[in-house]
Amino acid sequence: MSSEVRVLGRTVSAAGLIAAGSVVAAAALTVALPFMLNAFWLSTLVFILIYAIAALGLNVLTGYTGQVSLGHAFFLAVGAYTAKVLGGDHQLMALIWIPAAGVVAGLCGLIVGPVALRLRGLYLAIVTIGIVFIGQHIFLNVDSLSGGPQGTAIPSVQIGAGAQCQPSCSVDFSQGTSLGGATIDHNALYYYLSLFILVLGMLFVRNLVRTRTGRALQAVREREVAASLMGINLVRTKLAAFVISSFLAGVGGALFGSYLSFVRPQSWDLILSISFVAMIIVGGIGTVWGPLLGAIFVAGTPTVLNHYADSVPFLQHGSSSGGLSINEFSSIFYGALIILFLVLEPRGVVGLAGRAIALAQRLARGPAIPPSTPLPSQQSA
Amino acid sequence: MTTFYQLLFSGFALGCVYALVALGFTVIYRSSQVINFAQGSLLALGAYMVSWFAIDKSLPFGLAVLAAIGVCVLVGVVFQRLVLRWVAGQPVFVIVMITIGLSIVIDASVSAKFGANPRLLGDPWSSSAVHPGGVTLIWAKIWTIVTVFGVLLGFFLFDRYSRYGLAMRATAADEEAAMAVGVPTRRVFALAWGVAGAVATVGGFFLATFPNQLDPSISAVALLAFPAIILGGLDSPAGAVVGGVTIGLVEELTKGYQPAHASWLGTNFYVIAPYVVMILVLMVKPYGLFGRAPVERI
Amino acid sequence: MSATPVLETDGLTLFFNSVAAFSDVSLSVDEGEIFAVIGPNGAGKTSLFNVISRVYRPARGTIRYLGADLLRLRRAQIAGAGIARTFQNLGLFGNLSVLENVLIGRHHLMRSGTLRGGLYLGFAQLEERSHRAAAMEALEFVGIAGVAHRPVHILPYGIQKRVELARALAMQPRLLLLDEPVAGMSTAERGEITTLIRRMHERGYSIVLVEHDMGMVMQVAQRVLVLDFGRVIALGTPGEVQRDPRVIKAYLGAQLEEEAAV
Repeated sequence: MSSEVRVLGRTVSAAGLIAAGSVVAAAALTVALPFMLNAFWLSTLVFILIYAIAALGLNVLTGYTGQVSLGHAFFLAVGAYTAKVLGGDHQLMALIWIPAAGVVAGLCGLIVGPVALRLRGLYLAIVTIGIVFIGQHIFLNVDSLSGGPQGTAIPSVQIGAGAQCQPSCSVDFSQGTSLGGATIDHNALYYYLSLFILVLGMLFVRNLVRTRTGRALQAVREREVAASLMGINLVRTKLAAFVISSFLAGVGGALFGSYLSFVRPQSWDLILSISFVAMIIVGGIGTVWGPLLGAIFVAGTPTVLNHYADSVPFLQHGSSSGGLSINEFSSIFYGALIILFLVLEPRGVVGLAGRAIALAQRLARGPAIPPSTPLPSQQSA
Repeated sequence: MTTFYQLLFSGFALGCVYALVALGFTVIYRSSQVINFAQGSLLALGAYMVSWFAIDKSLPFGLAVLAAIGVCVLVGVVFQRLVLRWVAGQPVFVIVMITIGLSIVIDASVSAKFGANPRLLGDPWSSSAVHPGGVTLIWAKIWTIVTVFGVLLGFFLFDRYSRYGLAMRATAADEEAAMAVGVPTRRVFALAWGVAGAVATVGGFFLATFPNQLDPSISAVALLAFPAIILGGLDSPAGAVVGGVTIGLVEELTKGYQPAHASWLGTNFYVIAPYVVMILVLMVKPYGLFGRAPVERI
Repeated sequence: MSATPVLETDGLTLFFNSVAAFSDVSLSVDEGEIFAVIGPNGAGKTSLFNVISRVYRPARGTIRYLGADLLRLRRAQIAGAGIARTFQNLGLFGNLSVLENVLIGRHHLMRSGTLRGGLYLGFAQLEERSHRAAAMEALEFVGIAGVAHRPVHILPYGIQKRVELARALAMQPRLLLLDEPVAGMSTAERGEITTLIRRMHERGYSIVLVEHDMGMVMQVAQRVLVLDFGRVIALGTPGEVQRDPRVIKAYLGAQLEEEAAV
C-alpha cells in the first residue's frame, strides 16, 4: 500500500509526483497554446489574459483590502491614453510606455485615494462610479488626449532597437514575426506578452499578501481599529492598495488599447468596471488565482455562448425586430449562470476548485480510510 | 426669469422620479444592506410592461399601470424567495453580484421581447401642457409630481403606522433581535423587494413620458439615482426623497445654464453634475446629509 | 524616589454624548507591576482602555507614558511606543491564520514595504523568516503553536483569547493592556491563563488588567483600582481593597440587583 517513489535520491509521494507532473504539463500547454488554437480562440484568450491583469489589481484593492471600487475602468483608460501619448505622440518604446501606463494610473489612484479614504463600504463603491462618469466626460471632451467621441489609435507594441536595424532585431506586434521557422503572429505575440506580465503580477501579489504590507491590507479589511492598534497606518495602507490596483489597471488598459489598436471614450464605462468586479467575485475574491479564473469565466463565457449559439435552432441573427437573437440569448444565459453559480458556490471558482481537490484527495486516499483530518488544509490566504 | 421657473419645474419633476428610484434602493438597502443593481432594469421592465398592457393588450391606462406594477412586484418577490434567500448570510458583494446577474437577465429579456427601437408608452397625456405666465407645464410632469407625492406619502404612512412598516424598520435596525421577538424577517425581505418593484414601475413609466421616450436606455437612469441615495444617506427613505429632488434640480439647472455660462466644462456636463455635487457633499459629510456613521464596537 | 511610572493618568474624563463614561480617573502604574482595574459591569473599565489606547479622545485629563504625553501620539503610533492591548470582544482578524494574526502584531517591528514584500528578495525573506520564528515563539509561550496555520475564525473562543495574548506579546511591548483575559472561560482555562499572566509578570512586562473575576485579580495583582459608575472608589493592595466598605457595597449592591433581576 506504499504510495511513495524514489526520484533522484529523494522520497516523493505519488500525489506529489502527480502534482509536479501536472504543473509541468500545464506550463507546457500554456506555452504551446498559440500553436494549437485558431485566431478566434487565441484572440479570446488574449483578452482573458489582459482582463486578468487588471482584475488582479482590483483584487488587491477589493479582495484583500476590502475597499469596493467600481471605478476600475477609469484607470484602464488612463493606462491606454498614457500609451497613446508616450508611444504614439512621442514615439517612445513599449518597454517604457507599458510600465509608464501603470505608473501614471497609479499616480491617479494616489490622487483619487484621499477622497475615497474618507468613505466606507457602498459609499465608496458609488463614489467610484462617479469617477467613471467624470472620467468619461473628460475623455469625451479632451480631444487631444482621446480623440473625442471618434476615438483614437493606440500604438502597437514594438520591441527592439528601433528603425536602424529593422527587421532583424526588432518586432512589431501588429505584424507578427518568425522564430526559427515558426511563425508567431500578432495574436500570439500579445498572448506571450500578456501571459508574461500576468505571471509577474501574480507572483508579485502572491508574495505581497504573504508578507508585511499584504497582511496589513487584510488586517484593514477585517478590522480597522484593531489594525491601527497594531501600528498599521490606515491611510498609507489603503493608499498602497489603491496604487497597486490602479497600476495593474493601467498596464492592463495599455495592453487592451494596444491590442485593439483603437479605442473610444465610450468603452471605459461602468459596464467594464462591473465586469472586473464580476471577475474577482466569480473567480474567488481575495485569492491569487481568482482574477484569472474569473476572467476566463466572465470574458470567456459570452464569447463561447455567442460562438455556439449558431447551432441553437430558434435563435435569429440580428435583433432589429424583436425575437430572441443570439446576443440576447447568450446574455440571458450568462446572467442566469452568474446567479446560479454564486448561489451554489459563493466562494467562486476557487471555492469550487477547492472542493474538487478535496474530493480528489479523498478518492486518492481510498474509501477504506475514514477522514482522519476534520478539515482539508485550507489554501493559505 | 421664465427660463428659471421652467427649469425649476422640469428639475422638480425629474427629481421626483429620482426620488422614487432612490426609495427603491433605500428600501432594499435598509432590509439587507445590499445595493440592488437590478433596480434600473426593474424600472425598464415596469415601463415596458405599462406600454405592453396599454397598447398591445388595450387595457385602460390606469389598469395597465396596476398590471405592470403587479408584474414587477412579482418579479421582485419571486427573485427574493427563489434566489436571494439561498444566499442569506453570504458576503454583501456576492449578493450585489447576483443582483447584477438579474439585471443582465431582465435587460436582455426586455430587449428580446421589445427590440431596441423606441416605442409608444400609451399614456393619456402625450405632449399636452398648460402655460401659466409663459411657463410650459407639461401635464405628464404635473402628474409625475402629484403621483410621486401620493406614493411617497403612502410609503411613509405604511412605514410609520402599519404592522409591516414597523417590522421592516425593526429588521433594518437588528435582524437577529427582530427574528428573536417574532418578526417574520423573511416575509419582510420579500416585502422590501415587492415595494422596490412597485416604485420602480411608477418611476419607470413617468420617466418615459414626454419629452422622453421609451427605449432600453431607460434602465441607465438608475445610475443617476446613485448620487441621490448617497446625498440622502443610504438608509434614510426621507433622505432619498430630498436627495432625489436635489439631484433633479441640479441636473436641469446645469442643463439650462452651463452651456452658456460655463462652456469650458464641456458638452453634456449636466450628465455628470449630480456626481460632482455628490463628491463635494461627501468631502464634507462622508455619510451623506442624513446618514449616520456606523459605530465600530471594539 | 522611584523611577518614572510607566503609565500615569491625571483627572481623565470621557463623555459619550454628555454622559460621563468615567470621570477624574487618576492612576499610576509602576514598571513591572500588575495593576488591576475592577468594577461592576458598565463601570467604565473598557472605556478607560479605549482612551489609553487612543481609540477614544478624553474630554479632560492627561495620560503620560514613560513621562511623555501619550495624547500627542496617533493611534497607529501606540504600538511602536511599546503599548499592546487585547480586546474584551476579541480584536482578531478572523479570516487570517493564527500565525498571520500574530505576525500582524509585529508589523511595527518590520520594515519591508510593498515593493520589497512583492519581490520577496533577500531582505524581505530574511525579515519574514526571523519574525515568523519570533511569532512562533509567542505562540509556544501561550501553548497554541499547534494551530498556527489554522484560520482564526474556526477556533474555539478559549484558543482565540490565547491568540490575542500571543499577538500582544509578539508586539514586544513594555506595557500590556489586558481586557478581561479570562472572561467566558472555564475554571481550568482560567487557571492556565492566570499562570500565563504570572509568567508574563516574571518576564518583566508592566501589565494593566481589566477584569471581572475578583478571585483571579486578587491572585495576581499588586494593586487594584476599583471603578463604580465611572468614579474611582478605591485604590490599594488587593487586601486593602477587599476590606473597603465602599467596594463591598458596590459589589454587593450589584450582586443584589442581579439576583433581583433573575
